[in-house]
Amino acid sequence: MKINPKLKQDLKSFLMENIQKEQNRVLVSSADILGSDEKKALSGKKFPDLNWEDAEYRIDKSIIAGVIIKVGSKTIDLSLTGSLSKLSNTLYEID
Amino acid sequence: MENLGIDGKLLLAQMINFVLFFFLVKKFIVKPFTTFLNQERTNEEEKNKLLEKLKKSEEAGIEAEKKMKEKMKKEFDVLFVEAKKEASIMRTDLIKQAEVDALEIKDKNNKLLEEEKNLLYREVKDKIIKTSLMIVENTLKDALDEASRKKVTGAIIKNYQGKVNFNEN
Repeated sequence: MKINPKLKQDLKSFLMENIQKEQNRVLVSSADILGSDEKKALSGKKFPDLNWEDAEYRIDKSIIAGVIIKVGSKTIDLSLTGSLSKLSNTLYEID
Repeated sequence: MENLGIDGKLLLAQMINFVLFFFLVKKFIVKPFTTFLNQERTNEEEKNKLLEKLKKSEEAGIEAEKKMKEKMKKEFDVLFVEAKKEASIMRTDLIKQAEVDALEIKDKNNKLLEEEKNLLYREVKDKIIKTSLMIVENTLKDALDEASRKKVTGAIIKNYQGKVNFNEN
C-alpha cells in the first residue's frame, strides 16, 4: 500500500510541530497555587527565555514547598523535597 | 727230657699249637682289632678336626654377626641422626608454613572484618540518613501551613541564582 506523499508530509509536519510544542511546554509543579508575584518572578527575572504563555501549573503536595519546573525533558527542581534529596546525596557522598 | 717230666711230642704239639694260636690270633684278631683301633683313632681325629673347624666357623659366625650388629648399629645411628635432622627441618618448615597460613587467615579475617564493618557502617548511615530525612520531611509537612509554604516558595524563587539554557536540545 502506497501512502500519499502529501499526506505523509502533512503528518510529518504535524508530528514535528507537536514535538516542538511538547519540547517548549512549561510545566510548573508547586505545593500550593502560585500567586501572581511568584509567576511574574519566574517568567520575568528568573526564566525569561521560556514560553510562559502556554505554561501549565499543577499542585503537588509531596514537594512540601517550592516549585519544580519541567521544560521538555529538562527539570529544574526548586522544591524542599529536591533540596532534601540533594542533601541526602551529599550525605551519602561523605565518608 | 722224659726224666724231667717233659713230653717232647706234647711240647712240640704245644709249641705248634702256640704258634698256630699266635698266628691265628695275629691274623684274625690282632690285625682287624688294630685296624679297627686305627680307624677309630682316625675317625676320632677327624671328628676332633671337624669339631675344631665347626667351632672356628661358629666363632667366625659369631664374630661376623657381632661385626654386622655393630655395623648395623652404626648405620642405624647415622640414619637416626639423619632422620632426626630431616624431622627437625620438616618441623621448622611446617612451623613456618603454619605461621604463613596463620598470617594469611588473619589477613583474610581482618579484610572480612573490615568489609563487614564498612557494610555495617553503610547500612547504619543509610538508615540514619533515611530516618533523618523522613523526620525532617514529616516535620516540614506538619509544621508548614499554606502561608509558610508560600513564603518559602517565594523565598526560594527569589533567591534562585542559577541560569539554565533551555535551548540546548
